[in-house]
Amino acid sequence: MAQAILKRIASGDRTAVQDCLDNYGGLVWSLARKMLPNSEDAEDAVQEIFIEIWKNAVRFEETKSSETTFIAMIARRRLIDRIRKFTRQPGTDSLDKIVYEPTGKDGKEVFASIEAERAAKAMNELKPVQQKVLNLAIVQGHSHSEIAGIMDIPLGSVKTHARRGLMLVRKALEPKDLNTKEVSA
Amino acid sequence: MREEKRTKILELLADEAIFGLSDSEKQEFDVLKTEFPELAKDKSFEIAASSINLVETDLREKIPHNLQVKILNDADKFFDSRDAKENTVGSKSKNGETSSTKTKNQPFWQWLGWAVAGAACIALVANIWVTQQTNQETVDGRNPVQTPTPAPDIKAERRVLLAKAGVIQTNWSPVQKDEKISGDVIWSDSEQKGYMRLKGLPVNDKNKQTYQLWIFDKNQDEKTPVDGGIFDVERDGEIIVPINAKLRIKDPKMFAVTVEKPGGVVVSKREKIVALGKVS
Repeated sequence: MAQAILKRIASGDRTAVQDCLDNYGGLVWSLARKMLPNSEDAEDAVQEIFIEIWKNAVRFEETKSSETTFIAMIARRRLIDRIRKFTRQPGTDSLDKIVYEPTGKDGKEVFASIEAERAAKAMNELKPVQQKVLNLAIVQGHSHSEIAGIMDIPLGSVKTHARRGLMLVRKALEPKDLNTKEVSA
Repeated sequence: MREEKRTKILELLADEAIFGLSDSEKQEFDVLKTEFPELAKDKSFEIAASSINLVETDLREKIPHNLQVKILNDADKFFDSRDAKENTVGSKSKNGETSSTKTKNQPFWQWLGWAVAGAACIALVANIWVTQQTNQETVDGRNPVQTPTPAPDIKAERRVLLAKAGVIQTNWSPVQKDEKISGDVIWSDSEQKGYMRLKGLPVNDKNKQTYQLWIFDKNQDEKTPVDGGIFDVERDGEIIVPINAKLRIKDPKMFAVTVEKPGGVVVSKREKIVALGKVS
């Protein structure tokens, strides 16, 4: 099996940078485009995210999460920091779009990682209000106050639905092969 | 009380993963982490949030080309800086004394070099400042100051092209046995773009001669290969030169570098061929 790209980056193999971009560039770009209001912001964020990836590559442990999830975690942290730092415009995606069945070109389900596949199943079992809150917060990058406005529910309820929903997804991701309790990134 | 605190830290872990924390929440979180060290490094909430994010990620989306180039530049800078730091650490002697501390016992004449270099730097900075001021004054009177567009990093551009499908790559070999020319040439028919990487090519006197690339295409008469552009070698070491093909290339079989008169020629007499790259 080929050595993980992040391990190669950690060991100073510069050829792994292009591989990392080829494998995860689209993923990070897609996350940034969804959570940030414009392409310019997204481009700046993606540059920052990749620098973070080079810096943190040494901390990746393949027994604890997939490379994809590790990179998505780094990306999310940066994007959340950025959203909190700068004023953002709420996204325009419709709430009706919440169906956790990503499809590939051939119509079959395609997931970015095993964790994503499990998360999709868990999300489909959540209450609709929890799904909506998590989608608006995590996928579209809205703040809790924005979600309260969009859904016309109290701020406290937004947080409660989000926490409960996330805890259920977290529980679904707990199985044997992923030691999620002590993942260090 | 402890159970309440435990509930609170779990809520903060969830909030951190979903929304991020405010400064006051961060402070509270830091205090609670000291009481629950087993949760301080818990990343399961972040993994869960990231996994939800990944569910809706469009795997077919491609990162823009210009952004790829910027990221490759960033990576070069990052790794250069890290390597430099490691080399500095590596230069420590066995007793932990760095190489810079050894200069304490160096004689005066060794310091003189540094003093001259320092003075030269000051002069250079002053010169740049004065030049900038002069340019600013000239421009301000007529036109708005234009921000110069940074030149694209050719190294990164080359790497981006090389990663694409259908790109051919072949190594240079010297024509004369005593020459030590190395490197490679890459070319993409679909993008009509390519780069030469050359090492060991002698520095040329621009007033007397120039280097010129020729591309032997399958569909082109061998007597009249396609002009791939002229270039000069101004310093020793590796150079990367973009190929500037004057005609559309469909299926290159060989690349050749010749020495020509300044400005290049339309048809080479092939009197001095310095490097060849045959496509296998």
